[in-house]
Amino acid sequence: MSLFFGASLLIALITGLLLTWILVPPERGQTAGLPLRLFVGGGLGIGVTSCSYFLCLLTGLTRYVAAVDLFICLGLGGVWLWRRGKRRIGNGAFPPAALPPADRRAGITGMGDRQAPGNLPFRRPARRGSPFATPVALVFPIALAAFLISFLIAFLKEPHGRWDAWLIWNMHARFLFRGGELWREAFASGLDWSHWDYPLLLPLSIARGWAYAGGEGVLSPAAMGFAFTCLILGLLCGSLALLRGRTPGFLAAMVLMGTPFFITMGASQFADIPFAFFVLAAFVMLFGAGRSPGNAAGPLVLAGLAAGLGAWTKNEGLLFALIVTLSTAGLAWHSGGWREALRRTGWFLAGALPVLLLVLYFKLRLAPTNDIMAGVGLAAISAKLLDWGRYAEIARAFFFTGISFTQGVIDVREGMRFNPGAVSILLLVAYLFIGGIRIDPKERGLFFQAATVLALTLTGYFIIYVLTPLDLHWHLVTSLNRLFLQLWPSAVFLVFMAAAVPGEDPPEGRPAPAPPAAIRPPAKGKSKRPRS
Amino acid sequence: MILLVVAAGYAVLNLLVQSIGVYVDLPKRDPVTIHEARIEQLKGLLPPSGEVGYVTTVENDRIFAAERAFRNVEYLAQYVLTQYTLAPLIVRNSPDLPLVVGNFLDGPPPPGFLAKHRLEPLRDFGEGLVLFRREAGR
Repeated sequence: MSLFFGASLLIALITGLLLTWILVPPERGQTAGLPLRLFVGGGLGIGVTSCSYFLCLLTGLTRYVAAVDLFICLGLGGVWLWRRGKRRIGNGAFPPAALPPADRRAGITGMGDRQAPGNLPFRRPARRGSPFATPVALVFPIALAAFLISFLIAFLKEPHGRWDAWLIWNMHARFLFRGGELWREAFASGLDWSHWDYPLLLPLSIARGWAYAGGEGVLSPAAMGFAFTCLILGLLCGSLALLRGRTPGFLAAMVLMGTPFFITMGASQFADIPFAFFVLAAFVMLFGAGRSPGNAAGPLVLAGLAAGLGAWTKNEGLLFALIVTLSTAGLAWHSGGWREALRRTGWFLAGALPVLLLVLYFKLRLAPTNDIMAGVGLAAISAKLLDWGRYAEIARAFFFTGISFTQGVIDVREGMRFNPGAVSILLLVAYLFIGGIRIDPKERGLFFQAATVLALTLTGYFIIYVLTPLDLHWHLVTSLNRLFLQLWPSAVFLVFMAAAVPGEDPPEGRPAPAPPAAIRPPAKGKSKRPRS
Repeated sequence: MILLVVAAGYAVLNLLVQSIGVYVDLPKRDPVTIHEARIEQLKGLLPPSGEVGYVTTVENDRIFAAERAFRNVEYLAQYVLTQYTLAPLIVRNSPDLPLVVGNFLDGPPPPGFLAKHRLEPLRDFGEGLVLFRREAGR
């Protein structure tokens, strides 16, 4: 049984991996980006296979889900081989040979290039020279082991997950799996308290695991929680290792592992952790696109896919997808005019739209009205918008929760209290203040975009609280800490992308404080690239 | 950077120590599994799909009200876990259905409640779990 369940995860991983290979082809023999591909691909693969399982449900083919997945895998494999062959025939000229060599070699593929000019957009910081590299690399596996043990114990304590897991996500998975041909009936059941309007990525992924295994068990939902928790850690560590160096990658992962609420939510089997993964994946891919100006299409499609899958995971994902789409268009317009904006937004939407269409179908044909939107009238909205007391209460909750949410589940009777603990946003602010900020001038636009997306998403949440028909205090204490957690891995990613690292090369255009250090290739350490 | 390593390392190890403390006191079975095992006894007497009603220690409208007021989440948790166990059979938070699940873990229902809703015990499974049949209207 667990063998077949393992097969379902493996097929998801291969599907995602093939997508990254097709959309962001590696240079021949380069393996530097492999960990990043595994973590991005793993999450995207779970998302894509949840979509295929949904299509199987709609068409009554759930019995053949493994065959359908295999067919998709083979199709993607065929496309990958075909594109690989084309590149070979074209003497490895992918992206097109018309592009400047530096652009062809740049990207999230992680290759060093000794012939590239000094302004190569993709830069790996020197690993030599950082006095903290070895101690951090030694502490990291100990922290990882402690984290895994804590996660295992949290799972053993609550193998079915916490409240929302069996009230919403695992419950929906059971209805989808056990319902057989009558699976649609649950959505019209009137059991509003189970929030049947919530998107289906997580329930479908759990049910898909059961379909492979041929029966239910606590393994599938728990494995989803564990997988996405590890995927976030791996994606954060792998992306920063590639974009900024191993030490920031390890440090960022340690910050996340030192966030008690992150472990609690991962083991709780809530959808907030998968959603946090897709938000982070979208940001990582946007930075990947920014560092691959000649081959931005692939990473942009993957960023769009991640944003779309975020909307397929939680309703908050719709807001995120809208904001990130508009910000991508805005940044492209600012840097290259309307044509560039259309081109880049088009690539982004090419990844997002297929999933968003599925979400649209779900919302229009299956899902009941959302409880926050139900019965909202113009008079009620205007009354709430003019109630300044609500703003004050929400602002206060945002302040206390923003500082304290990392410390774990709150007692809803007491509400959120000031408790920053060892790891919180204050620690990251202190880190930036002490260590300094060093943003590559070429990435300032991306930073602005990412920070704007995070700020606008939080603003959107704020407005939803202002308008909520639910009891405001109850709504805040039962959800706000999870909303902050959804954005936490991305915030950590941005902080470490911005933070100066001791021993790191300065960004271009700034004087080098030390003699030129070679940019060492990530894996084999043979080729060297001169620094600008 | 030292600050970050120390803070994150302390947080991770502190969490580990707390987790080990939890592990030492871990019961053999978690509450959800125990509740599932109780409710699963009903499955043989219930249809695989359709609807059943639900009654508990308090009147039905107080199940959600108690949770919203942060007074008692147990009634709601017991109701939700009953639905979680019996899915895809729909468990309505109402006594007005032909078959009604009685879940009285926290004590008997209010006096006269069962008679008011014409609920006759069909089978008592012990531990506060009773399956009722609703008598036809007189």
